[in-house]
Amino acid sequence: MPREAEISINEREFIKQALQEQIRLDGRAFDVFRSLELTFGEEYGVADVQLGKTRVIARISVDVVTPAPERKFDGIFQIVTEFSPMASPAFEIGRPTDAEVILSRILEKAIRRSNALDTESLCIIAGQKCFALRADVHIIDHDGGLIDASCIAVIAALQHFRRPDVQVEGEKAIILSVREREPIPLSILHQPLCVTFSYFEEGEIYLVDANVAEEQVRQGQVIITMNKHGEICQIAKYGGATVNPLALLNCTNIALEKVKQMSKFIQQKLDEDNKKRNPKGLMNELSAENARENAVIPG
Amino acid sequence: MASALTVVLPGDVVAQDALPTGTGKKKTLTLGPGLRHIPPNTVTTTVAGTLVTDNRKNAALVEYNSGRYTPFAGDLVIATVNGSAAENFNCLLTPETPPAALPHLAFEGATKKTRPQLPPNSLVYCRVASAGKDQPPELTCVDPSTGKGEGLGPLKGGMLFKISLGMARRLLAPKSELALLDVVGAKVGFEITVGRNGLVHVDGGNVRTTLAVGRGIQEVDQKALGESGQRKLAADVLKSL
Amino acid sequence: MPLDTSTYSLALLRLDGRRWNELRRIHAQISTQAAADGSSYLEMGNTKILCSVTGPHEGRSGGVRGGSGGVAKLEVEINSAAFSGTDRRRNARGDKRTSEMEHCLREAFGGVIVAHLYPHSTITINLNIISQDGSLLAASINAATLALIDAGIPMTDYLVACTAASSASTSAADNASADDPLLDLNTLEEQELPFLTVGCLGESDKVAVCVMETRVRMERLEGMLAVGIEGCKRMRGILDEVVKGYGKRFG
Repeated sequence: MPREAEISINEREFIKQALQEQIRLDGRAFDVFRSLELTFGEEYGVADVQLGKTRVIARISVDVVTPAPERKFDGIFQIVTEFSPMASPAFEIGRPTDAEVILSRILEKAIRRSNALDTESLCIIAGQKCFALRADVHIIDHDGGLIDASCIAVIAALQHFRRPDVQVEGEKAIILSVREREPIPLSILHQPLCVTFSYFEEGEIYLVDANVAEEQVRQGQVIITMNKHGEICQIAKYGGATVNPLALLNCTNIALEKVKQMSKFIQQKLDEDNKKRNPKGLMNELSAENARENAVIPG
Repeated sequence: MASALTVVLPGDVVAQDALPTGTGKKKTLTLGPGLRHIPPNTVTTTVAGTLVTDNRKNAALVEYNSGRYTPFAGDLVIATVNGSAAENFNCLLTPETPPAALPHLAFEGATKKTRPQLPPNSLVYCRVASAGKDQPPELTCVDPSTGKGEGLGPLKGGMLFKISLGMARRLLAPKSELALLDVVGAKVGFEITVGRNGLVHVDGGNVRTTLAVGRGIQEVDQKALGESGQRKLAADVLKSL
Repeated sequence: MPLDTSTYSLALLRLDGRRWNELRRIHAQISTQAAADGSSYLEMGNTKILCSVTGPHEGRSGGVRGGSGGVAKLEVEINSAAFSGTDRRRNARGDKRTSEMEHCLREAFGGVIVAHLYPHSTITINLNIISQDGSLLAASINAATLALIDAGIPMTDYLVACTAASSASTSAADNASADDPLLDLNTLEEQELPFLTVGCLGESDKVAVCVMETRVRMERLEGMLAVGIEGCKRMRGILDEVVKGYGKRFG
């Protein structure tokens, strides 16, 4: 069974030594993310996130199904993660590693359980028909920070996605195609984003957004999910080196700051994409009747 | 080396006049890796790279940048110790390939009683002693004729950096001229060890120097910097120290 | 829903009659199974867990034998009985929630056990959840700690855990100062309130495990954490007594 290449003793010692001298391998400060890139696909709901060398693609798709009998008024939303062998030779299809289980659990808790998506809005006819939303997360390249990158990808894709409109006539529901009616965005209640802190030196030093080498050397990690409104959606610290509770509280403050920056970044990219799609903008369309394109304003 | 680079793609037919003329002592043409002979006298390429010819030896080969390292006898490599068996250390040349064997006694001055103790995940600079197609490669840290280490052996301290195989070959070439290393080396002292398996070990005595040199090499590799680019980078590296 | 927060604010008594800082009844035994190298049985209220520890042993034949890199490998298996919850569930093994808990225990005890004493060996912790009524992860950690002590596996310190919540539901999040922390939750309270599981190392305030799954204002984390850590200390006192009680028998 192929497994993750273990880091050599020399590298391990060097990274630790460098951290004590306040140096990271790629020259970043301790609390700085790598360069973040976000691009959207041709279709609605495809987000491609690049965080340093890590690359994650999320795709949202929708289907119409019968809702679960115990949740008649809710639509269905599920997040599926897949570690592609193209990201690292240590990944194999069909055999989830610990990292994969943790990633999907964190995404589940961060996004689904925190009610980031209003599933009630996915209901078409109570107890009979609802939309089933599926977010596929594909890890394309792995250089650490998978959880943070995946969460950004899913949240960005959800905000980018448009579902087809429906027309309900009594017991009948007609799904209107994109050509008939402008598809509508999902109702997203808040945008949770993850920030992973890696601990070194018995919890004395912590790093934001560690790469693979740093992840292998670290003694523990704390994954904090927050939204820009200052709500914590999830904290996960599964063992590892112990931390001071005050340091933990401090992490939430840093996480909030990072999440605010990331939310702003995502919003900016969404706006850019939106402009590209409707070059003239919605306001222009609305004022089509009194458009005076040829009018020359004197003076 | 050829003066003008001839870039070839798989399946290209190598023109007769691109091949060595055979004016040297050896009459028969030798084809190196990446070339295939189709009788009677057509030579085609099997990989993408640059065609290199040597008139004196009457040989031609294609230099290419492959993905995974395949061991070849005589190559200098940086191996990672994976574990210790009865008589060998199991070493990895690349993370996901079967281990190569490094005998406990293949170190300078090693005897049955005084053999090196290498914990798992330590680094060794060694030479590939044999690499058959059907058996795992064997490594050695001594020159079999002299019994001397000649610079081979465990690597202490420093940091490991990944580079492309092409870059590793460039650094190991007899007349390797990397402006970056020349310029930086004139100002600060550091040691580099290049493994043919795409690894370079840098020890600059302190963290800053080691990192600056290592990252400089990686940058030259990734951006394929030329002479002037390297000099500029070298100036930046020196400024950062 | 079950827990009526309004009655709580009136009488300051929870559904089961506890005050905010009271633990449930804890009953613990060690050396319960003769066949295991170490075992324990823990009840935290109605959460009941049976834990057994095997090892350090050579590991199962085939595959990777024992840990690599000169340290012991820790294996954790959690089985939950079909009748343990309110609705009968078949085969909880392999579900991601269980795997997550296994991962958490593995990581948490990996940092506590002095693993380099047993190279090439495996230590297996087997947890059987007989009945669940909240604080499942905390109870699992406590049960495993007891069983490891019983098995005589060296640990730098021992890990205890408990849960803490913050009452006043998330919708009333605006007045964060008015929150009331609660200690040691049962299922009904867990469903109703934002809560977290804290695991502390021994007497210290150092947090080894911290898992929170519900949305909460960040200002309220501090109170929950403080109460949780306080609860861990009391939990340690109780577990201490249990171990010492057994020690006397042999003394």
